[in-house]
Amino acid sequence: MALTDIEYQALEDIVGPENISREPAILDTYDQCWGHKAVFDQKFSTRPAAVLLPGSSEECQAIVKACNRYRILFKPFSSGFEIVAFALANERGILLDLKRMDRILEIDVENMHAVVEPYVNIYRLQREAMKHGLVMGSIGAGPSGGVIAGSCCHFGGGTTMVSTGGLGRSVLGVEWVLPTGDVLSMGTAESEMGWFTADGPGPSLRGVLRGRSGSNGGSGIITKASVKLYPWYGPPDIKFTAAPGVPPSGKRISEVPPNYKAMIIMFPSQSAMFEALINIGKAEIASALMGALVFPYGEGNDEQWAVIQQMAAAGISFTQVASQGVALILGSGTQRGLEYKEKCLMEIAGQMGGGPVPIPPSDQAGLFAAAMLHFGFVTAAFRRTGDFFVSPTSDGSPDFMLNLRKNAEQMLKPYMEKGLFQQLGIPEMFVMPGENNSIGFHEENVSFYDPWDPDSLDALRDMVHKSEDPNGQFRSYGVPHLGGGLQIEWVSHVHQNFGPIYDNYDKWMRSIKGMLDPNGVGDWSAYIPAIFP
Amino acid sequence: MALKDFEHDMQRCSRCSYCKWIPFENQQNMDFIKGCPSAARYNFHAYAASGKWNMSYAFLNERIDHSDAFQDAVYRCMMDGCCDVSCKTVQDIEPLQLMYELRKKFVEDGQILPEHMLTIDGLKKEDNMMQGKKVDRGKWAKGIKVKDLTKEKAKVAFHAGCRYSYDEELWPIVRGALQILIDAGVDVGIWGKDEVCCGGRAESMGFAGELTKYADHTLEALKAAGVETLVNPCSDCYQCYKVEYDKIGKKPPVEVLHITEYLHRLIQDGTIKLTKQVPLTVTYHDPCHLGRLAEPWVHWEGKEVKVMGQMICHEPPKQFRRGARGVYDIPREVIKSIPGVRLVEMYRNRESAWCCGAGGGVKDAYPEFANWTAGERIREAKAVGAKALVSACGWCRRNFMDAMEDGAARIEVYDIIELVQKAM
Repeated sequence: MALTDIEYQALEDIVGPENISREPAILDTYDQCWGHKAVFDQKFSTRPAAVLLPGSSEECQAIVKACNRYRILFKPFSSGFEIVAFALANERGILLDLKRMDRILEIDVENMHAVVEPYVNIYRLQREAMKHGLVMGSIGAGPSGGVIAGSCCHFGGGTTMVSTGGLGRSVLGVEWVLPTGDVLSMGTAESEMGWFTADGPGPSLRGVLRGRSGSNGGSGIITKASVKLYPWYGPPDIKFTAAPGVPPSGKRISEVPPNYKAMIIMFPSQSAMFEALINIGKAEIASALMGALVFPYGEGNDEQWAVIQQMAAAGISFTQVASQGVALILGSGTQRGLEYKEKCLMEIAGQMGGGPVPIPPSDQAGLFAAAMLHFGFVTAAFRRTGDFFVSPTSDGSPDFMLNLRKNAEQMLKPYMEKGLFQQLGIPEMFVMPGENNSIGFHEENVSFYDPWDPDSLDALRDMVHKSEDPNGQFRSYGVPHLGGGLQIEWVSHVHQNFGPIYDNYDKWMRSIKGMLDPNGVGDWSAYIPAIFP
Repeated sequence: MALKDFEHDMQRCSRCSYCKWIPFENQQNMDFIKGCPSAARYNFHAYAASGKWNMSYAFLNERIDHSDAFQDAVYRCMMDGCCDVSCKTVQDIEPLQLMYELRKKFVEDGQILPEHMLTIDGLKKEDNMMQGKKVDRGKWAKGIKVKDLTKEKAKVAFHAGCRYSYDEELWPIVRGALQILIDAGVDVGIWGKDEVCCGGRAESMGFAGELTKYADHTLEALKAAGVETLVNPCSDCYQCYKVEYDKIGKKPPVEVLHITEYLHRLIQDGTIKLTKQVPLTVTYHDPCHLGRLAEPWVHWEGKEVKVMGQMICHEPPKQFRRGARGVYDIPREVIKSIPGVRLVEMYRNRESAWCCGAGGGVKDAYPEFANWTAGERIREAKAVGAKALVSACGWCRRNFMDAMEDGAARIEVYDIIELVQKAM
């Protein structure tokens, strides 16, 4: 339902006419994204009633107050590289594109944190932080992912989780425009003491802010956030180079920085690999770590296919490396420290019958950029087949994850054998221990499918039906998806289905939602409504 | 090709937004990482390449019709191709070629900007994009003794291009270039008042028929004059002859060179000597049409095939133009060969260069946007400590000057030809 002229005018008065639109042509650029075909059966989701480009916290606050006054649904987003960024529960909803709020407000070197606005992407902050010997964690969305989106609003996890935790673990305070329009400064920021911690006396609001997987734009707008930074042992500046005529995607960091090492360790079995991952965590030696990060990338798919064929001809089993290989980055402030970590790693690998795979220096540099900065992940996800899907996925103990992996493998294999998903021999499974395994493993089982191939799409839906069946074989592996991911509650009913299975968690979430958003104006598509319709 | 032929590409845009920035691999200074002037200036997603995919798909699905908003987003684009380079670091799709088709479709449907129509009317009547009289086209060369290609044959044809022919302030550049060739003993000629537009800028506005018309004319003119090499001081013309003509199956049967390439040869073989000191710290602005857009056209006929079940490949393998094979080193080598000149690089260079703002009909229809874009480039040039901004295209040169007139920061602006002249 369209906004009335009075409503539209009220919003326009806040941001100015150049920063608001209800033109269908403009609006239809805010309802198309990857994953839509699988979820909505078309490229389009709900067309918003208007799109606004607020330029400040004050404008965000005024917009939210207007939404409460007129009972208009709203949803904010930053880069918008996610299905959950756009989908609205109804057409009387507006989207807030936060592109104009793009400042890095502070890098506090001494206290190792940065304060940013919503449109600052991860790579930009990483590069600025590197100048000061610091870096932030990476996430699977790659370098264009938003710092605030990944930290405060969505599930942000990736290869550096072993040393940095998922981005959600790094939030040190926020400025939060609540769905009522009130502004909450969380943690020490409230007392203007600096943004160094999100917790103060009394109950922490960090769980309410995002929990494990974020509210995906459903509980207001984070207009500023402080995130923890971690040590960077490389140079203050990095440069990607290539021979003349090689396109940017073929560029590599000239070498792995001297205080880092990039390695792949192969193990005789998956269980040996998992056991080693536990011990690597205990030893606290990895800067980045991931099971299976070895799919070869080429300039384009045709070039990539040629490389795969060459590997096969050379007798290199991509499948074996993918299922029993661990990619990891070691880093230290001193050469002695690095030598110690490498020695440790070799000892651990040796105990489990594993050993390093020889990698040419240029490939080591590529592995370093992939593991530390998540270069190549967008290519991996979308160029191969057009789209990807992550399911089943979960967090838990290593044994639990190994068990999930085995079951997932059995379920996914037939689709690949029939050629309905990309045939990788075994499913591509990403295993990422969190915080040196002190919080367990995170695992994602990935299927690469073509949403515009009817058979491939049907297979994907069939697979999702199985992996997300509340009475199916994966019922005991936790709530499906990442809480966000491709979950649109009014399509998938994940919380409705799994709430009763898992301690009625949905009731708590709905209570919090109702308390924060009494008028129900924060879009709940990728979160939860106070009352299920 | 038709808009419909890009449907699969439209579906495959994941909305990663890489098209808004220069490739991550090329990002050096985080204050200069935006790649698309349109997306940077107008903010709504519609102004980025991804937005163009989205609107085109909505249009094909009859969800939207022609509208002022659609038109605005489609035409406020320099067609500079930076988005195309960035997108192709992660995808096998063709954003820039979609833009060509989109504009062609707009023109077919009569959705034409009045300012573009004025320019195209002028082109149809007077064979130039400057709304000048055909009879005045050769005035820039007045007094220079050179072969007339309408009457004589010459090995080298020097094509001044519309901008240089009618922009009097730039005449010293193009006259200087021609004189260098003559003095070097090159068997060179010009068409004078009978020179015509290449058709490239018209094509970029959506008037594809004009490209074909001028391609046919040019091929005949080259043949009649017995030309072996076509030399262009204008990067737009160079790219059009080299790439766009090839794209439509009318590749000239002659060697197509930019003036910097020809000068480079003359410097390398010692024909011209650069001896005078030019004490100046300069930065080089890669013209889009000499850089990423000048990558040779790659003809491909085949079909999409699936390997490994669902991996999308091509039979035969398809080589995408990803921008790295443009002309980048030769202009830099010419600059470096000038005694006293110190070349410093801007943060966005080669295939990631920020556009000057003059392309795609933007200068004709939205001069304030063109000037803003040029102003951003000048800001970058000053940020790297350059005292002068050097380009290799009359359109860039003009737009930088106009931006400064319009309030952009001041910097000395040169064409490479001018620097070479100073050093001779």
